[in-house]
Amino acid sequence: MKIALVGNPNVGKSTVFNVLTGSNQQVGNWAGKTVERKSGIIQRANQTIEMIDLPGTYSLTAYSQEEIITREYILRENPDVVMAMVDASNIERNLYLVLQILELAPRVVIGLNMMDLAVSSGLTIHTAELALALNVPVIEIVAAKGKGIEEFLDEAIRVGTLSQDPLPRKVPYPQALEQKVRAMEGLLSKNPWATRYPLRWLAIKRLERDPEIGQDWKASAPGISQSKDSCCDTGYGVSYELLKTTSLPGEELLETYEAEGWSKDHFEMAFADAKYQYISEILPKFRTTINPGKPTWTDSIDAWALSPIWGYPIMMAVLGLVFWGSFVASAPLGGAISQGMAWSAEVIVRLLQWGQAPEFIQSLIRDGIFAGVGAVLAFVPQIAIFFAFFSLMQDSGYLARAAFLGDRFMQLMGLHGKSFFSLVSGFGCNVPGIMATRTLEDPKDRLITMLINPLIPCVPRLGVMSAVVAAFFPGSRGSVVMLSLLMLSMFLVMVSALFMRRVVKQTERSAFVMELPLYHIPTLRNVLLPTWQKTYSFLKRAWTFILVASIVVWFLSSYPQGVPMQATWAGKMGGWLSFIGAPLGFDWRIMVSIVFGFAAKETTLSTLGILYGVAANASQSIAQAMTGAMTPLNAYTFLVVYMLYIPCLASVVTTYKESGSLGWTSFGVAYNLILSFIMGWIVFHGGQALGFQ
Amino acid sequence: MERLLGDLKSGECACVKCIQGGGAIRRRMMDMGIVPGVELEVIRRAPFGGPLQVRLKGYYLAMRRGECAKIAVTDINEELIEQPLASR
Repeated sequence: MKIALVGNPNVGKSTVFNVLTGSNQQVGNWAGKTVERKSGIIQRANQTIEMIDLPGTYSLTAYSQEEIITREYILRENPDVVMAMVDASNIERNLYLVLQILELAPRVVIGLNMMDLAVSSGLTIHTAELALALNVPVIEIVAAKGKGIEEFLDEAIRVGTLSQDPLPRKVPYPQALEQKVRAMEGLLSKNPWATRYPLRWLAIKRLERDPEIGQDWKASAPGISQSKDSCCDTGYGVSYELLKTTSLPGEELLETYEAEGWSKDHFEMAFADAKYQYISEILPKFRTTINPGKPTWTDSIDAWALSPIWGYPIMMAVLGLVFWGSFVASAPLGGAISQGMAWSAEVIVRLLQWGQAPEFIQSLIRDGIFAGVGAVLAFVPQIAIFFAFFSLMQDSGYLARAAFLGDRFMQLMGLHGKSFFSLVSGFGCNVPGIMATRTLEDPKDRLITMLINPLIPCVPRLGVMSAVVAAFFPGSRGSVVMLSLLMLSMFLVMVSALFMRRVVKQTERSAFVMELPLYHIPTLRNVLLPTWQKTYSFLKRAWTFILVASIVVWFLSSYPQGVPMQATWAGKMGGWLSFIGAPLGFDWRIMVSIVFGFAAKETTLSTLGILYGVAANASQSIAQAMTGAMTPLNAYTFLVVYMLYIPCLASVVTTYKESGSLGWTSFGVAYNLILSFIMGWIVFHGGQALGFQ
Repeated sequence: MERLLGDLKSGECACVKCIQGGGAIRRRMMDMGIVPGVELEVIRRAPFGGPLQVRLKGYYLAMRRGECAKIAVTDINEELIEQPLASR
């Protein structure tokens, strides 16, 4: 039996899904989309149930990727039962989706969640009356406490095993509209399509000129992949292939209606209108309002969190806490991982020495694999803690508030308010920043945010930059220089966003119409489970790339053997590239460090240290050694280029995985490189013209 | 009196008369429950010309001023209050 879990965003769908499927979850992406696909297998009453958690959606029209997926799944996969989750505190808009589902799939069970929130805002929903009004079973659940979830599933199984489709009450359309639906039904009733979908739904969609009606799709992939990895396989679900398009009857009728002023848009509006009208008609039967004006929790928190005066300081404090927790407090954990890696490398090298393994293998293990992979692994605690905060903010409802407050600034760049958090996260680490773009609904907005994210300097980059700044610009000048660099990065983010908007073709600008969900306290499971899944999938996706890259970097930097750094392959590459650096006043050493910095930017200082012949590993002394070889203008140019060119390998891999496009990833890399060198050139020559040294 | 939603002060209520324009934005608004006849309350306007927080049907929505300028509203008159309007 196939059961689909459907509902508006933030209704507690994933809580129910997590409780029901437990650890038997498969998390991946929907084919060709960067929307999470979660499915699980449950055994109940001698039945094997494939349960799928469809992305949260407000309707079954095609607006966002999430809505398209939900709609396509119900349409093409034809689940046996739909478990529709409804938020009791916001029942009107939630029922709009339920009415749309009921027209398409009659086997529906409603799970009424968030009754406590409804009660606290002075509403009472009478479950029995609701069930009667719609003629659909309704189960009360408290998802956060795990109450009613088993009953919800039992009822779904019962509905699924009924021999005949139940008859939910139809939405009565106004006379003029109902006539047109009937006329269309008459034309379609003998069509083979009418046996596949409910006739009324087919007629409505035909009147709306829905392009999907008449299209035959072939599923071309395994249904459930029986992967050995029970937690988080890539789970690329079913992908579809268009077989043929049949034109359904009724074209003439549609043209007649259009001549009467009933266009496609008009029909859509009329059907939506009638559904809302119907909901407000039946609403008094099952909802009573007591004490309406009482301010809720959400009202009281929002009075502060969204206030024009306090909103921004509060947001700064929240973001500050997230940053501190993810990137400062996690440092000992990261340090422990690096030490652990170094220690295990040592142990393995000893074993190899004992086994008389050749020198180059020892070096490969210690300096190549363990050093390279360890450098990335050291960031895993940061990323994991960041994701935990991210889930917490998203589930509690604060993320939407941050988008509300940040939207004004994003609007300047032609971006969506939800891009704000992704960009701010970039200051911590660009990898989670790029992954945080998933909250954006529009794929184009998502792509643009992803491509400009690397221009924001992350914590490791800021660390290197401040060491160099401190060496070249001591005292208060240092902070002015640092500030100017950050301002430059902001400015370029803004300009690039506007530029990308021209490059990335977008048919229609997405609207900023965003729900501000009621605040609620997320369950521990809902925070920790996605954190684990996201961290695991990041590691799983990245480790092969990182391993290969570590080996390549090791090879380039240690061969030919026994020569000084500038004579190795990587050193030679830096030398060859010095013609690019020359117009910027860079010598070959800077170019070598830029080449090496590609793997991970925090290694730049130690590379420079070796090249400038400073043995000590202290960042200050390396920077001091550089002051002898470079003028402050050279250093400033270096800082500009360093800040802007590709952040690191992990961010490139993440961009590729999140965009799903090699083309856009290469475009992003090329854009960063070209932009950084152009800016460096402008700074160097501008500085010279202005008489700086 | 007909106005645009974007012109409402915070704390003011109004009733949706019609949505100008079409396409995805209009469909999105429809999905979120903004249809003619619905009562809206502007809760607050974000500073510096930022989005508006609007309450309808018991939930909160953030909308940019540009989008709000597409929604024509009328004052809530008695005739409309008598109808079983769902929004509070």
